Amino acid sequence: MVDRLSGYRQSLVGGAIVGVGLLIAQPVFAQESVAVRAHVAKGTVPVEDPNAATWNDVPVSEFPLSPQVHWPTRILEVTAQTVKVRALHDGQQVAVLLEYADPSEDPDDAAALEFMVGEKKAHFAHGQPMAQVQGGPVNIWFWKNKDAKVLDMNAQGFGTLKVQDKQDTKGKGVYQNGTWKVVFSRALSTGDAEHDTQIKPGEYINIAFAIWDGKKLESGDLKEKGSQKAVSSWWYFRADPPPDYSSYVYAALAIGVAVGVQFVII
Amino acid sequence: MKGGVLVRSIILVVGIYIFLKFVLPLVTAPLPASLIFLYLTLTLSGILIFATLSGESTEAFWGPIFRFLRGDGQEGAMKLARLAVLLLFPLLVGWQTYNSTAPSDQPPGENRTIHPAPPGEFVGLSNPFQPTPENIAYGKGRYFSLCFPCHGNFDGKGPAAKGFNPPPANFSDPTTIAMLQESYLFWRIKKGGVGLSIEGMPWKSAMPRWEHELSDEDIWKIIMGEYDGAHQKPRTWE
Repeated sequence: MVDRLSGYRQSLVGGAIVGVGLLIAQPVFAQESVAVRAHVAKGTVPVEDPNAATWNDVPVSEFPLSPQVHWPTRILEVTAQTVKVRALHDGQQVAVLLEYADPSEDPDDAAALEFMVGEKKAHFAHGQPMAQVQGGPVNIWFWKNKDAKVLDMNAQGFGTLKVQDKQDTKGKGVYQNGTWKVVFSRALSTGDAEHDTQIKPGEYINIAFAIWDGKKLESGDLKEKGSQKAVSSWWYFRADPPPDYSSYVYAALAIGVAVGVQFVII
Repeated sequence: MKGGVLVRSIILVVGIYIFLKFVLPLVTAPLPASLIFLYLTLTLSGILIFATLSGESTEAFWGPIFRFLRGDGQEGAMKLARLAVLLLFPLLVGWQTYNSTAPSDQPPGENRTIHPAPPGEFVGLSNPFQPTPENIAYGKGRYFSLCFPCHGNFDGKGPAAKGFNPPPANFSDPTTIAMLQESYLFWRIKKGGVGLSIEGMPWKSAMPRWEHELSDEDIWKIIMGEYDGAHQKPRTWE
């Protein structure tokens, strides 16, 4: 009887050790929409095709949008309330697909991505100059329906927007059933770190979005234009690094060591 | 009692884990996993020192573990239990190793200081206007035409708020304007998001730089309107 009790105690010991180990183990966190991750493309990156079937396999991140209120002329209501974002890269090219609702297709409909440039941080509103510290400029990729292209631009504060001499961006917008799908693309690195954001696979950088509903009102004015637009704050963007299998090797080694220790004890 | 030291040790470790993980958060903030791990390691170290003070206690502690792992005289369920431990232990070690070495997919953490120190010129200023009903009403009027779209009915839930991260301040929350002096609000309204210091990074505040559009008098009266509307009082020098 005593032996049997001792046996149960022993199994309790084993169970408790495993149980405590499992409880202490780190939880696995689910991905939330605080970041856009450009997944490694299995084939070619659809740099100018918002309807490519490849996009269907890419996880979607969604971000809320607000009217641009930071700087006059501000706006208090905007058409686009959220934007869905997907991204792909192949180690050379990166493509970012924006998808958002807009009840009408208009020539002045527009959308943009914004990144920081260089080491200095920038305010999300066009890199507005900071009062206490020196911030950096922003790189803006701007698409407008009637221009049918994506412009590569820089700014450091409202009113300083400038189209770059060397255009590295391209893209295309497609309107269907009340939804705009706009793809922006560029090489991951351009060799011009002074003007262009450089995207290194594995590194998180900041990204922000802007959308304009270019609908013409009865007054003749555009519903949204210039600083009157839907904007997001800074979020995160990362081009995924190539698959890294070293953790599996370390895990296999650790299992080998654990089995070895058991072998010695036994 | 044979194996008594070991069983008491297990109960102690499990008990401390349950206390740290589930009981302590009832009265204070939850402890991070790394701190719980540290406490358990300290507990285990203490147990090991205590259990190996003499040859007898060493045998009482380690004996059952070694006998269990060696399978001395085991039958039925015990054999199965031993097999399960021998299989699960290496897998657990492998899993933990994978988790600690796998590259992280998480974005970097943000150590944004919510209320960074204001520049010296904005410290200790007093509101030069008396909180008369007229001044408060004037301030509230300006608040509702300029601040309401983001800060809403003093609750940070204005119609234009949802896209901003961080969200516009909720003035009814006792951890916002109630713990700040009026001079601090004067600075934040006057200089806006671009007035933030390096501690306020990553500079996502959409707060306008109102000094371009409002007089100091308007800003002071808006501050009065905010405190009155949110039913809060400014912090003062005690």
